[in-house]
Amino acid sequence: MLAAPWVCRSCVRSLGRAGVPQLWRKASTAASPTGAPPALIARARKIAAEHDQLVTSLETDFDPQMAKRVGEISRVATALKEFQKANASLSELYSLTQSDDAEMREMALDDLESTKAEMEELGRNLSLALTPKHPFADMPCLLEIRPGPGGTEGRHFGATLFHMYQAYCVSKGYRTRVVKYETSDSDGQKGAEGEPPLTEAVIEVQEPGAYAAFRGEAGMHRVQRVPATEKQGRTHTSAVAVWVLPSFPENNPEIEADFEDPENDFYIDPTEVRTETMRARGAGGQHVNKTESAIRLTHIPTGTTVSMQDSRSQSSNRVYAWRVLRSRIAAQRREAREEIARNLKNSVLNQSQITRGDKIRTYNYQQDRCTDHRSGLDVHNLPNVLEGGEMLSKIIDSIQAWLTEKDIQNLVAEEEAEALESSRKKGK
Amino acid sequence: MPRLPPSLFWQARQALSPLAAPLLRVCRDLPSTANELRWMREHIAVTPSLIPPKLRLWQFAERRARGEPLQYVLGTQPFGDLEIKCRPGVLIPRPETEAYTIELGRILLSSHTNNPKTKLITILDLCTGTGCIALQLFRQLQASATLLRVQGIDISPHAVSLARTNLSHNLNLNNLLVPRPPTEEANQSQTIRFTQADIFSPSFLTTQQQQQQQQQQQNQDQVDLDLLVSNPPYISQPGFARDTARSVRNHEPRLALVPELRGGSDDATQFNKGVLPEDIFYARLLDIAKTLRPKRVLLEVASMEQGSRVVDMLTQDDDTAKLYPHVEIWRDCPHAEFQRQTIGDREIRIRGSGEGRSVYLCRADM
Repeated sequence: MLAAPWVCRSCVRSLGRAGVPQLWRKASTAASPTGAPPALIARARKIAAEHDQLVTSLETDFDPQMAKRVGEISRVATALKEFQKANASLSELYSLTQSDDAEMREMALDDLESTKAEMEELGRNLSLALTPKHPFADMPCLLEIRPGPGGTEGRHFGATLFHMYQAYCVSKGYRTRVVKYETSDSDGQKGAEGEPPLTEAVIEVQEPGAYAAFRGEAGMHRVQRVPATEKQGRTHTSAVAVWVLPSFPENNPEIEADFEDPENDFYIDPTEVRTETMRARGAGGQHVNKTESAIRLTHIPTGTTVSMQDSRSQSSNRVYAWRVLRSRIAAQRREAREEIARNLKNSVLNQSQITRGDKIRTYNYQQDRCTDHRSGLDVHNLPNVLEGGEMLSKIIDSIQAWLTEKDIQNLVAEEEAEALESSRKKGK
Repeated sequence: MPRLPPSLFWQARQALSPLAAPLLRVCRDLPSTANELRWMREHIAVTPSLIPPKLRLWQFAERRARGEPLQYVLGTQPFGDLEIKCRPGVLIPRPETEAYTIELGRILLSSHTNNPKTKLITILDLCTGTGCIALQLFRQLQASATLLRVQGIDISPHAVSLARTNLSHNLNLNNLLVPRPPTEEANQSQTIRFTQADIFSPSFLTTQQQQQQQQQQQNQDQVDLDLLVSNPPYISQPGFARDTARSVRNHEPRLALVPELRGGSDDATQFNKGVLPEDIFYARLLDIAKTLRPKRVLLEVASMEQGSRVVDMLTQDDDTAKLYPHVEIWRDCPHAEFQRQTIGDREIRIRGSGEGRSVYLCRADM
């Protein structure tokens, strides 16, 4: 008999249903784990051949550029060698499984499993070695936080995000500097936890490699909660944009010298920049004693403007404004370049290419939940996330993994497209 | 000054702080009021004091609202890489001065690295005031010049003592490396000193020349000054009453703003020959340049007109005109490209953007 004295009819009926409703995502965003697709191996072979050729020519005469290239591609060559070695042993094992000796067959079958696992690993290594390193990966970065349209609520959340990233950097031991922190003067309302309405904030994470670490943070961060200003307890949804731009180390003569090089992304022709100081026109010098030190730079071809007024010294404001302008222009240039490359290669749409419109993460206060929409990771304990604790680093790690997977996928797609193209040409 | 609408005061009180409303009278707009309040708060946060912070903020705002310059209220002004202390009685460093000083430092540095044979760099800063120009140039050249002599001269004892204070203050802040005192190895010394002197006194030039000769004997080769730089008083009497800002007129020293000769009628007639009263310092400074023959000269001026008057003065004297064939007028931001213009029969180059700010002379052999 039933243990319960009475069970309602609908519950009894639901017990009889075919399955339990699925509470997890059916689709996985992770790239399927494959050893290494043939297209990739073909590319690796090509690169390895180039490597060998370069090494032999380097023995006769030294050329720094050639040596640099060898350093870049040696990773691929070694990964391919290991992969091929494993591949050879695998085929040997396969041939052994056909052997007449029963004992030998058994041994080969035993080894086959472990070798296959090893192959998987080596294949992954090979694809990782083939994925081009992000050009700005080794750089420090600028995190720009800007609330989207939608009034005070988004601004309050902007301040929360600002503190989240600061705390995260502190817990990770990254050095940071607040380049800009501007709150709105017009509405003096404070948020639920007394956060000021933020209009714009820029944090510089001075750690080399910070760009790679924070690359996945760029995009729209959505918040769902009942704002402090809401009287009727309705949940509002607003969004804050986070931009991640490469910054450059302050005292690095190597990179600084590169500013003069028009090939560099950070190069800006000084004649293309209009500088406006907010000082009154007319007599200056000893006649007046204005404390106004704000400076605004406008890059005329792109219309990008940067204004800076944090320091009392105009010259240091100018230096920081130039730095922010350089970073913004460099990011724009890179985006434009990638856009062109994408169109040319006619490859699959790169989903990891974040445009500012996509929402990437949701912070839901009612459900105490933070969801990343790209890796599909759901994390509870929202306060810990907003304190920049382990939960946030868990999310950021998942994004890192996702970005790497995406990079590999893109590479494979690109290779396949190229192979198709060449075979079509041959056909003609 | 146009009248500010009452709504602005109300807004300032609501949005910023009750202290913002009186500040608005001197700042004239909300963003700069917000900035000044923020700087006051930041200053209070980093300087410990027995007075409670809120009271200090109120005191600061009160003083500022009475028109006192913010630099006197807070006691400092950033200048290039340095923090310059400011006190009533000494002119506050201006951002235009900062701009051309940094540019000058860059020029000296590049010419020094281009011909490393010239080991010694000597700089004379007349009318030094807070010592900002001398200290900033010292800071910029310190790393690469093994032999560096910087001298700042002012007539006011307040200014000289403040300049010395600024030297020790920036040493304490580690903005400057400790100058190496002259030792047995004469080629390894960096000195900076500030002395009180009247540049109009007849003995001034002879003492400067003697010093130079001494140095030549020590180093056994020709050492001319590398740079003569000066930010002399240049505002005319009516200009002081008409064009200057109220906080400048009421709180900054007139001595540093309006040229007046205190030596009596003799000096006045000597220097007044065809020279406007606001230009008398330039006449004297060009005289000094003629005698000391510095490789480069930079004189701050009020405007393009005054700048061209100085160029005229230079052209009238054949010797100085021959000595300095290369003449430029720099505007407020001297970073941008050149334009050419003829003043009198002389072609000069104009650099940068903004109002004319300084006259730059360079010797032919440089």
